[in-house]
Amino acid sequence: MAAVTRRRSILWTLVQRDLRVRYSRSLLGYVWTVLDPLLMASVYFVVFTFIFKAGGRVADRPYFLYLLSGLLAWQWFTGSVNDTTKSLIQEARLVRSTSLPREIWVIRCVVAKGVEFVLSLPVLVGFVLYYLVVGRVELDWELVFFPLAMALQFVLLVGLGLLLAPLTVLATDMQRVVRIVLRFMFYLSPVLYGTHAVPDFLRVVLAFNPLNGILSLYRGGLFARGVSWLDVGVSAGVTLVLFVLGFWTFARLERTVLKEI
Amino acid sequence: MSVVISAQDVGIEFYISRRRKMQVRDLLFHGAPTTTSDTFWALRDISFDIRAGEAVGLVGGNGSGKSTLLKVIAGVLLPDRGSVAVTGGVAPLIELTGGFRGELTCRDNLHIQAALHGLSKDQIGERFESMVDFAGPQVREALDRPYRHLSSGMQVRLGFAVISSLDEPIFLVDEVLAVGDKAFREKCYKRMENLLSEGRTLFLVSHSERDLKRFGTRGLYLRRGELAMDGPMDEVLAQYNDDLGTTKADPPTKG
Repeated sequence: MAAVTRRRSILWTLVQRDLRVRYSRSLLGYVWTVLDPLLMASVYFVVFTFIFKAGGRVADRPYFLYLLSGLLAWQWFTGSVNDTTKSLIQEARLVRSTSLPREIWVIRCVVAKGVEFVLSLPVLVGFVLYYLVVGRVELDWELVFFPLAMALQFVLLVGLGLLLAPLTVLATDMQRVVRIVLRFMFYLSPVLYGTHAVPDFLRVVLAFNPLNGILSLYRGGLFARGVSWLDVGVSAGVTLVLFVLGFWTFARLERTVLKEI
Repeated sequence: MSVVISAQDVGIEFYISRRRKMQVRDLLFHGAPTTTSDTFWALRDISFDIRAGEAVGLVGGNGSGKSTLLKVIAGVLLPDRGSVAVTGGVAPLIELTGGFRGELTCRDNLHIQAALHGLSKDQIGERFESMVDFAGPQVREALDRPYRHLSSGMQVRLGFAVISSLDEPIFLVDEVLAVGDKAFREKCYKRMENLLSEGRTLFLVSHSERDLKRFGTRGLYLRRGELAMDGPMDEVLAQYNDDLGTTKADPPTKG
């Protein structure tokens, strides 16, 4: 980790390159980053409010804001896991031509997606302002935990990335497995609903999802319901375990991975 | 002069099997990867010391481990046995175009590539003109067009221009001189001679005896992954040619 922080400027160069590649293909790049969660939030809002008629019961109001806050964070999560999974394969030529600490190829994906997350936050701010004006939202002091949520999510994503990237080099169908697991996880995470709406018999199973606490921290200041510190504690624990496991796995497999790419 | 590259009993092991990649599916349903685990040692018990300012040429047939050894020194492969200690930075003229992205302009690519190899913004600014000069007028014309519009020869020129402008005390050169036209090759030779006269260390892989004699004063002869000889370039080349005469070519061990 120390070696990586010493190469901060290089990490930043890579992130800029990623973003430039992404946005050089289409001027609409930024619009797509924001439009995707916005459209998804609208669709889920319509389906769960008017068809299932459950939006307000399984989550906090206003439901649209609840969805948007969850989906933006989820977009960072899923985008980052997908990118880090293939980070060593996709840039094989680059990895083979420089002796930088190899963790950098993973971390830069997390940072790049994190920058996109930050860039999409003005949309969330816009909706919060709107709901403030119409009086449907009251912000509270727990808003200070928003950066903490980002930090925790960053650490979680780095850990997952370092774990998955070398495994993907060694097992070719790993990407497929990851895609399926991500789709599962979307419905098993409190993006569309809150953990309070989960029945007891399921709660134990879902309790170990590290996204529970992270989403709770994001939403604490926006909604009347306070941060669930039990969820946050579990999230922090799981995150720490994945982080250590990630670095350990990466270091163990590095030698083999370099021969295979 | 101080030792800048020190290899101690370096060994590296590769898998032979054609389908070396396993699948999660195999692990789940068979309990073990279905690939065979036959291995061979691409390098074995390699030890040598190289001092600052030396010009070393690697000699050996195809599959003798030359490129592998260069990669180990560059730090892009890690040895399974032994260790390599390198003092100071290494400028690898190996995968010259590895860091370039086709969608970005040549100018952007040049900046990014230089930054990836550790040059600061100011340093890149100072050297930008000389790098582009070195790459040639056709590259200069194409500076603001996407990199993928360059011909492959031009792409290598740009790569060589960037990496050979680095300040690193050690240069690794792997066959890059084989590409590019005659005029550019002459330019590269000059650049390498300059680097040597500045007291940098040069580590060269080539099949061209002329290149090896021109730049190498010391030769390392690799035969099937083992260091067969370490001595003055002329003697090493004589031994290599001698071996070729008696045993014909080495059977290739690596694809």
